[in-house]
Amino acid sequence: MRYLANRTVYMVVILAISSVAVFYAIRLSGGDATAARLPASATEADRETLREVLGLNDPIYQQYFTYMGRLLSGDLGNSLTNNALISKMVIEHGRNSIILGAAAFLLVFVVGVPLGMLASVRRNTFMDQGIMSLSVAGMAVPNFWLALLSIWLFASVLGWLPSAGCCEPRQLILPAIVLAAEGTALTVRMTRSAMLENLDSDWVRTLRAGGLSEARVIGKHVFRNALIPIISLAGLRIGQIVGYALIVEVIFGWPGLGQVLVNAVLRRDYPVAQFFSLVLVVMVVLGNWLADLGYLAANPRLRKA
Amino acid sequence: MTASTPESYLAEWDQRLLDFEESQHVSVFRRGMRNLIRNRLLLSGVILGVLVVGAGVAGPIIVGGDYELINFSNIHAVPFSEDALLGTDHLGRDTATRLFVAIRVSLAVAVGVTGLALLAGLAIGTISGFRGGWTDRSLSGVMDFIWGFPLILVAVLFAGGLGEGLLSVILAVGLVNMAAIARVVRGEVLALSEREFIEAARAGGLSNWRIIRKHLLPNILAPALVLASYYVAVAIIAEAALSFIGLGAQPPLPSLGQMVAEGRNFLQLNHWETTVPGLTLVVMVLSVSLIGDGLRDVFDPRLRHEAKGLES
Repeated sequence: MRYLANRTVYMVVILAISSVAVFYAIRLSGGDATAARLPASATEADRETLREVLGLNDPIYQQYFTYMGRLLSGDLGNSLTNNALISKMVIEHGRNSIILGAAAFLLVFVVGVPLGMLASVRRNTFMDQGIMSLSVAGMAVPNFWLALLSIWLFASVLGWLPSAGCCEPRQLILPAIVLAAEGTALTVRMTRSAMLENLDSDWVRTLRAGGLSEARVIGKHVFRNALIPIISLAGLRIGQIVGYALIVEVIFGWPGLGQVLVNAVLRRDYPVAQFFSLVLVVMVVLGNWLADLGYLAANPRLRKA
Repeated sequence: MTASTPESYLAEWDQRLLDFEESQHVSVFRRGMRNLIRNRLLLSGVILGVLVVGAGVAGPIIVGGDYELINFSNIHAVPFSEDALLGTDHLGRDTATRLFVAIRVSLAVAVGVTGLALLAGLAIGTISGFRGGWTDRSLSGVMDFIWGFPLILVAVLFAGGLGEGLLSVILAVGLVNMAAIARVVRGEVLALSEREFIEAARAGGLSNWRIIRKHLLPNILAPALVLASYYVAVAIIAEAALSFIGLGAQPPLPSLGQMVAEGRNFLQLNHWETTVPGLTLVVMVLSVSLIGDGLRDVFDPRLRHEAKGLES
């Protein structure tokens, strides 16, 4: 339990530090925030008044606490480009991101684990080599390139799937597969090596000697043991998916958090960039914390410490 | 150790320890070099790499031309057409000229950043693992913190803070890769510190600096190089991906990701504008990955899991 408490305290500290870092980073670049709100003809006195109203003349640590206080009370402000309420944007785009992220997350395990098992059971056969080559390719091909290839093949040439857009199931297929590709490839490798490690162990030989059928040995015993490291690392996949979503959402025109953040950075829409980066950072930190919990679940010895 | 210790005494200790390390197969470097030629992965990676680097270095000199030159009378030309070896893009700019410059940009960013990240990661990881105690706790705390964030997100945050451009890409890639390398190096140093020959070196009165320089570093250099080659691939992909979404290299400076993004709108018309830079990118990544895998097989089979477990 001490491990759990340690990791939770660590998570909270990391959250605090990274929220400060994100706040400072975006504020650093803020440039002249008044330029976006006032017409070019505004006088310096007008600008100064606006800065005073916005609290931009306060010391930056005070601005941080003001900002956090407003966040906690649900007042997230408006976008500079279209004046949309950020609180509305985050709900709408967050939902899209969660749909895409969850689909990719599921794909990683639903596809990755069985393929890895198959490769390990058929070790050193044509099947194994085929699966492993695919997984090497899945890790070597940059995902934006994979995205373009899949758009070209399935949308332009074959015309089976739409190339971009949101939010029908048909439009979800390609971005989810591309987003899941690298994680799936990694999961295949991990499953295969975890399975092989167990398959070669003494206790498996004992089970076989005891007369258990191969299906039972693998399905019931080896598989369960091999699953432990994979589940315990599932939290890390969340961080990976959050990172790649920034690219994949832009390519497929999927209006999620990542796409909004990238556009906000490009358009210098600081309030949006500030809050959306904070949201993504929190998601990553929580994902890492879940990975710690998974690690605890997989290593019972830590519970006593 | 005091300054009065004769150099001959220290050198004798070094030699004795090196002999011992050799007998213990700790010094994988020399053994690795022997296998290097035999390794086909490595060889094919090196050949591809030489081609790409050759294109980046010699290409602009041979083909020449101005990569910014716009020529509206010859747009969307296909490869091997008149006056354009690899065709032209939507502004009539010569794809070959731009491609070679883009390779230079990509290589300079990836190799330069990884080189710096390797130096910093080696220094931090070694100090952290060797000193232990508070130094270790604070240093590895910071490294774990940085490493916990996905590279692309860090790069977008930097772009948000410093503005989009190669500088943000370089800082983000450098920072995250440095943390990843430092973590692995620290682990290696911790493992080595428990070995007898390091204990013997301490017993022999060698200074910390001498132990690190002569007995620790040579033994972690091989795994660190393998790791670095992996991070060169990560850096190439990250730079391309960020340039693709507009946060990396800014026009008119060409970059592979940006060329792919520009050509993307004309896939139906002339797919070469996308496929030429895209395939170049795949070849570059493939080459670095093959070199990395080959080096790993040669030097340190153990690293297989570690390197692949690290996120980009």
